[in-house]
Amino acid sequence: MRYLLFISFIVLCSCSSEYRKMRKVSGDIGCIQKFKPVFQGTTYRTTVDVIGKHLSGLVLIKVMPDSSTRVVFTSEIGFKFFDFGFSRDSGFKVYYIIQQMDKQAVTTTLRKDFELIMMYHTPAKGSFILKDVEKYYYGFPQEKGYNFYITDSSCSQLIGMQRSSKRKAVVEAIMLGADKNIPDTIGITHKNFNFTIGLKRIEKK
Amino acid sequence: MCKICWILIFFFDTVVASAQYPGYSLLTNTSTFKEKFSNASQKTNSIQSDFTQEKNLSMLSEKIVSKGKFWFKKESQVRMEYDQPFKYLMILSNGKVYIKDAQKENTVSATSNKLFKQINNIIIDCMKGSAMNNPDFTSQVFEGPQSYLVELTPVPKSLKDFFQHINITVDKKDYSASAIEMLEPGGDNTIIHFSNKQLNSTLPDALFTIH
Repeated sequence: MRYLLFISFIVLCSCSSEYRKMRKVSGDIGCIQKFKPVFQGTTYRTTVDVIGKHLSGLVLIKVMPDSSTRVVFTSEIGFKFFDFGFSRDSGFKVYYIIQQMDKQAVTTTLRKDFELIMMYHTPAKGSFILKDVEKYYYGFPQEKGYNFYITDSSCSQLIGMQRSSKRKAVVEAIMLGADKNIPDTIGITHKNFNFTIGLKRIEKK
Repeated sequence: MCKICWILIFFFDTVVASAQYPGYSLLTNTSTFKEKFSNASQKTNSIQSDFTQEKNLSMLSEKIVSKGKFWFKKESQVRMEYDQPFKYLMILSNGKVYIKDAQKENTVSATSNKLFKQINNIIIDCMKGSAMNNPDFTSQVFEGPQSYLVELTPVPKSLKDFFQHINITVDKKDYSASAIEMLEPGGDNTIIHFSNKQLNSTLPDALFTIH
């Protein structure tokens, strides 16, 4: 009986939301817009590690004249892995993807990861701010769960980003150099399976 | 009447081909070229050169340029060392591909990975001069003032998915490849230009050793 109570306690603890301990506060939800990256043909050296497999290459991100954003991933020797388009009007479009990656789960995961980085669904209806000691979580409802942008108390620094279920973060991301609008380094880590993406900006000469 | 049709078809084919590659005209008799290309390749045991690679993303109007050094040693050993704007090393040797990027090094079998198998075959075929004998491609040769252009068109669907054409520019001076262009079905392309070529210099085996 004692063990049953202990196990129930553990299960309850693991089911509770990691955001529950935070409190909702009022504030300027739009203050994070200054961290929104502007990709004008920015190239990144990229590494992808997924369930023991390692892949490297170059990612080029560019805002097109119609204000859509294209994300192209190629190998170092020039072979294209995928070419995605993100548009507020016409939505997400796969222009190209190699056969080995052409799976719904892969494209959906990558779409959501890049939408988090590009701060795509901000502003959004039902957005809110949570306070956790010194950090502020700017939450934006998604199809499932939320995208959170985490700042310091004065909203002068973007500390991190999270894609979450209703209870916990499923993806954590960082974007260094966001204050300059063109991030130098981007890191994406999935919490529920072994999948990381790292991008390091290549300076144009 | 039929004769006129054939003449017209031949004329328009030639015009279209010439328009496709400005400065080049279609070579109707390729036997002399093939013989010289094959002879020169047989005499070439090694190639050492610099290279500049341009990846052109047509719809994005963007170009990614990288540079490095290239080594080839007969029969089928290749080393490509990128040093600008990133470090990347690829060695093709004895059916294996060794890759070292910014974080990790990895060795894979060239035959187990379809993409690497194709890269392996294309580069080696271009360097050995055997590209036109590959049954996976049909070929056409165009002649320009300084060089020939060998247009390879893939036959199997597995290759058509990757390439629309592969064009090899062959230098008239020494019949060695001075550029390889890979055109993708969507309109993007990758061109590798070879410069400062040194033919038949002694290349240590260590360059191609995969540990």
